[in-house]
Amino acid sequence: MPETAAVSIRNLSKSFDGTEVLRDVSLEVQPGEVVSILGSSGSGKSTLLRCINWLEQPDRGDIRIAGDRIGVSDSGKPMSRRELAGMRARLGMVFQGFNLWPHLSVLRNVTEAPIHVQGLSKTEADERAMALLEKVGMADKREQYPYTLSGGQKQRVAIARALAMQPKVMLFDEPTSALDPELVGEVLGVIKDLSKEGYTMVLVTHEMEFARAVSDQVVFLDKGIIIEKSHPSEFFENPKTDRVRRFLELEAPAV
Amino acid sequence: MSNWDILWSSYDVFLSGFYNTLKLFGLSAVLAFLMGSAMVFLLEGSRPRLKVPLRIFIDGMRMLPFLILAYLLYYGLPSAGIRMSAWTAGIIALVIYHGAYFAEILRGCRATFAQGQVEAAIAQGFSQPQMFMRIILPQLILKTRGLLGNQLIILLKDTAFLVIITVRELTAAASSLSSTYFIPMEAFIVVIGFYWLISIGLELFIKMIGRFGAKRGFENA
Amino acid sequence: MDSSAWGLLIQGAWTTLWISGISIAIGVVMGLLIALLRVAKIPVLHQLLGVYISLARATPLVTLVLFIFLTAPTMGINLNRNVAGIIALTLNTTAFNAEIWRSAFNNFSKEQREAALAIGMTPWVYFRRIMLPQITITSLPGLVNEMSFLIKGSPAIAVIGVVDLTRVTNRISAVTYDPLPPILAAAVLYMLIISLLVWLQRLAERKASRLAV
Ligand SMILES: Nc1ncnc2c1ncn2[C@@H]1O[C@H](COP(=O)(O)OP(=O)(O)OP(=O)(O)O)[C@@H](O)[C@H]1O
Ligand SMILES: [Mg+2]
Repeated sequence: MPETAAVSIRNLSKSFDGTEVLRDVSLEVQPGEVVSILGSSGSGKSTLLRCINWLEQPDRGDIRIAGDRIGVSDSGKPMSRRELAGMRARLGMVFQGFNLWPHLSVLRNVTEAPIHVQGLSKTEADERAMALLEKVGMADKREQYPYTLSGGQKQRVAIARALAMQPKVMLFDEPTSALDPELVGEVLGVIKDLSKEGYTMVLVTHEMEFARAVSDQVVFLDKGIIIEKSHPSEFFENPKTDRVRRFLELEAPAV
Repeated sequence: MSNWDILWSSYDVFLSGFYNTLKLFGLSAVLAFLMGSAMVFLLEGSRPRLKVPLRIFIDGMRMLPFLILAYLLYYGLPSAGIRMSAWTAGIIALVIYHGAYFAEILRGCRATFAQGQVEAAIAQGFSQPQMFMRIILPQLILKTRGLLGNQLIILLKDTAFLVIITVRELTAAASSLSSTYFIPMEAFIVVIGFYWLISIGLELFIKMIGRFGAKRGFENA
Repeated sequence: MDSSAWGLLIQGAWTTLWISGISIAIGVVMGLLIALLRVAKIPVLHQLLGVYISLARATPLVTLVLFIFLTAPTMGINLNRNVAGIIALTLNTTAFNAEIWRSAFNNFSKEQREAALAIGMTPWVYFRRIMLPQITITSLPGLVNEMSFLIKGSPAIAVIGVVDLTRVTNRISAVTYDPLPPILAAAVLYMLIISLLVWLQRLAERKASRLAV
């Protein structure tokens, strides 16, 4: 019997006000795997990612996290808020705009959910948070408040915050798109370290070279449909469709 | 004996008035703030069910003088079979009236929030009430502290209206002393001094929150 | 409620309106004068006015009305209730208006003054023709907002026996023995008055924002 997929998406469809944004999307992410989702603007990448943790509700299809269905309980009814919160806590999400909570210090941003959602004691949460802040290189800034940090620093804290819930899967939605070019590297470096440590990750990005280097699987979305799903070397060197070829020429002339 | 000596000899009247005003103010400030926050919480979510009734309630209160509401509760409701003491009617009126104003202040600020912070909390598994209490409300307080402070001072001043429905508060104390001894000037100077003191205390308190906010990069709203 | 009750109610509304109206009119002008004096930063006077504003803003209207009405006779002045009410409301609203005017002055750009003096305007002409019109427009939304607050505070004059829109409900119920209808009717009338002011405030805001561009 094959190992249970960390994320399994089957026949997912979603429309906004009558326009289909995702059409019959299916995708499996194995534990330890890094999957990059590429595609041009408006192709539905963020929507796909946001469906995985039910920030958007799909119209059709089902999504399982480590075998358990999200959004719909066993009885077939929509999940209660509490059940949903429990499922979401298994997924860590990092946003393009960081979304740190400005009234809390760096350390408290990281410990907030472990203490108040998972019910950890303050000491346990602090310990866990400090280890993670160490990992992302932000331990010395623990007492500072978000407004004093650079974009790259904020994003590293946001990554530590998501990791603090010890999620089964990390979701990244263009984590470096809002950063000045010279700050992109420090964030990508952290994500790369995580991939080496065996974290399961789904990553939406416009950084082609990075996607090529860290991914085990690359998925290309076009108008809400997955038109290619392959190994990065295959994807970048030997795209099967003209659509991807054109995309690669535009996005990454160097590759 | 000078007028001031007469006043001094009845300092207990002032003290009890002062105490009553503080009690009225403190109790209703806390309850009104809770009520305002609760209303803003009920407005959370994409399609809040209570949006229309709350809007009507808040706008309605903002178009009424405080005293007419106190009249309604104290003189009006008994004809509908609901009777309460002047003190109870006063507190309820203060809470309902200023609750609506607090709600409006907080709601206005809530509308300016970026959705991202809230999504980050939902994505981490916070429940709606937890998220509101821990993520939204603290920021609302830091951002609206100036307006909240003004509203608290208005609430303090509105407690004086309750003398008209016979509540024994600070202004009632001055009024009764001045009519007993015919020394209105001195009695009222003392009482106005009391109000001034509480207002200054409130302003200091808001400044304190301001320092707390400045440390977190919240400029005064 | 019968027609005589409605008649009384309208009389009460009229009392509220004329007493508040006079206080507002005086308060707006006095507020401007005080703001000018404060902007000039004349020593001692500046501090005194500061204390007045701080005190007036902290004193409940009810307390102020009682203070004035009860104190005047002890100084040999015989005040009629209405006049005492007007003085109290005016002292209160003037303080708030002074701060509204003052912040408009403080935010006014200095360059316009140089431009005006350079083309030969006297300071007085500059003030009257250039500065005041603009400052009036930027202050107007705040001033109208303060008018709503004054109307909402005006029932304070009931405490010295002025029969305004609030107190008249006691009069009516003394005859009908049913206070609820007149109180509700008074509430509706207050809502009408305040919503008119809110509407005016919106107009003023639109005008002010056009000036800001
Ligand atoms: N909440 C929403 N309501 C209505 N339409 C939406 C909503 N969210 C996304 N859309 C629309 O769905 C489509 C896909 O959006 P999505 O954000 O998933 O694209 P994307 O691939 O992430 O693009 P980008 O690279 O610009 O981030 C777009 O046309 C967008 O306008
Ligand atoms: Mg996107």
